[in-house]
Amino acid sequence: MEPWVVSTSLIFVYLIATVVLGIVANRRMSVDMEDFLLYGRKAGFIVLYLTVVATFHSAFAFLGSGGFFYTHGLGFWAAGTWTVLVGAITYVLGTRIWALGKAFGYITPADMLADFYESESVRVAVAVVSVVFTILYIQVQAQGLGYIINVASGGRISFQLGTFILLAVAAAYLMAGGLRAVYWTDVLQGIWMYLAVWIGALVLSYELFGGPLELWHAVEDVHPELLTLPGPRGFFTPGMWVGMTITLSFGIVFQPHMLIRYYTAVDGRTLKLLGATTPIYLMTLYIPAALVGLGGAVALPGLDVPDTIFPELLFRYSPAWLTGIILAGATAAAMSTLDSILHANMTVLTRDVYQRYIAPERSQAHYVWVGRMIVVALLAVGYVLSVKTFGFLVTLVTLSGSGALQLMPAILGVCFPGGRVLTKDGVLAGLGASMVTLYVTLVVTPHPLGMHGGIWALLVNMVVAVAVSAVTPRPSAETVRRVHGEVERFVYGTEE
Amino acid sequence: MADYPKYRSHFVPRTRDGWIATVAFLVLFAIAMPPVTHTLLNRVYPTIFGLPFLYAVLLFVYVALIGVLVWALRRGV
Repeated sequence: MEPWVVSTSLIFVYLIATVVLGIVANRRMSVDMEDFLLYGRKAGFIVLYLTVVATFHSAFAFLGSGGFFYTHGLGFWAAGTWTVLVGAITYVLGTRIWALGKAFGYITPADMLADFYESESVRVAVAVVSVVFTILYIQVQAQGLGYIINVASGGRISFQLGTFILLAVAAAYLMAGGLRAVYWTDVLQGIWMYLAVWIGALVLSYELFGGPLELWHAVEDVHPELLTLPGPRGFFTPGMWVGMTITLSFGIVFQPHMLIRYYTAVDGRTLKLLGATTPIYLMTLYIPAALVGLGGAVALPGLDVPDTIFPELLFRYSPAWLTGIILAGATAAAMSTLDSILHANMTVLTRDVYQRYIAPERSQAHYVWVGRMIVVALLAVGYVLSVKTFGFLVTLVTLSGSGALQLMPAILGVCFPGGRVLTKDGVLAGLGASMVTLYVTLVVTPHPLGMHGGIWALLVNMVVAVAVSAVTPRPSAETVRRVHGEVERFVYGTEE
Repeated sequence: MADYPKYRSHFVPRTRDGWIATVAFLVLFAIAMPPVTHTLLNRVYPTIFGLPFLYAVLLFVYVALIGVLVWALRRGV
């Protein structure tokens, strides 16, 4: 059997499995918003663990990280810092968000922020930031999926058709089973992608070098410049190291598809356990990625598109069945992020826009139906963005990675009592100033003084938020006592 | 405004175990950050268990950071 038949067949087997899981999830679902949007706030440790790690790692982690090691060397091992930081953020901050969500029935990040800052303007601003900066990831993931299936089929399935098939499958199981379907498919995807990248890297290192240690020795001999900082092209400067650590930890955690996951845990202890252990999966995924990228730099130098190093090595040096399994793993990595972003955008648009401003007093079944229709609309938007070229998208994608990071002052203001309370005017002014700064420091003059543009924007955001909050009215004492009091009770078991 | 609620800062630990976990995490994290990464750790040799120095030390630090989180969980921090 030809290799492309094996590869393509395995990807379709995987896709069928996800649809079956979606159908089963549909039969377990009750028709209310908390069940459809938040898994009924009943997610246990294993399901939550695998959905968080699978969602965190996108197609970029699977394919792009190998390309980063290939081009810039060990600097990308900084991945360990942001993956460990994600665990710490979950441990300290995620548990507080969970407690507030459970106490006050929050469904979206905007619910929490609008409640504390007593402002519909804050709700709208947060919803806009949430949707604008994550909807672009639909495009990124969908393009990755189209590329993967195009490569797996040896060009027989076009990029456009591949993108459509995979977007449609993700939308289908999301519409069928809501967040339950997303979580269940993420369990499959999380296991599949982890095994795939490890098995692929080990097989290649033995096939090409005789083992992982021999691979490291070969890199030392041939490309020692890949094993020190800032790398052969000078990319990993101290400022870039710090900037990537902050933007790829806080910046990803503050995206709505990650924040919403905190609301869904069955209890706070589960989230603490999650925080302490997710870095094990997240960090160790970059060990095989380093083997692929650095080994690839020795075995297959001079690639025009470094991100293709993993599939290029697989097609040349591994059996067809293994290539198929691993490309299905790459599909899993992209789909697990894609479905979560589709779900988060659907949740924000249904809850923060439709239910709040268009049709406030309708039945739960009505909102579930509207949510499904929004998924169809997002599917169409995602497809068009993926197959067409829009000049402004390049700019927006550049901004998107650091956009959600700008919610940090507002979120910390809610979840960490003590000191001066931020105000709605401070939060809005900080957000506005950070968006302007982001444009300047990422697009006009990228990364001034070697510091990541997202960090510049965050610094401006914090200064403006604190300064404006000092001279504008604070949230009411009742609201601060209710929300901060809940955090105080949850964390320390005491009153003010 | 006299009855406006005030809370002790949640950025400062309140227990001994909380202090230990916070300080240990921050110290280890600082080792995995510039300037340490770009100066003291920025070398290939001596290799550790056959792995480049920078890679091996950072791997050790990352594992230790995870250890701090697990310790905090077990101590109920």
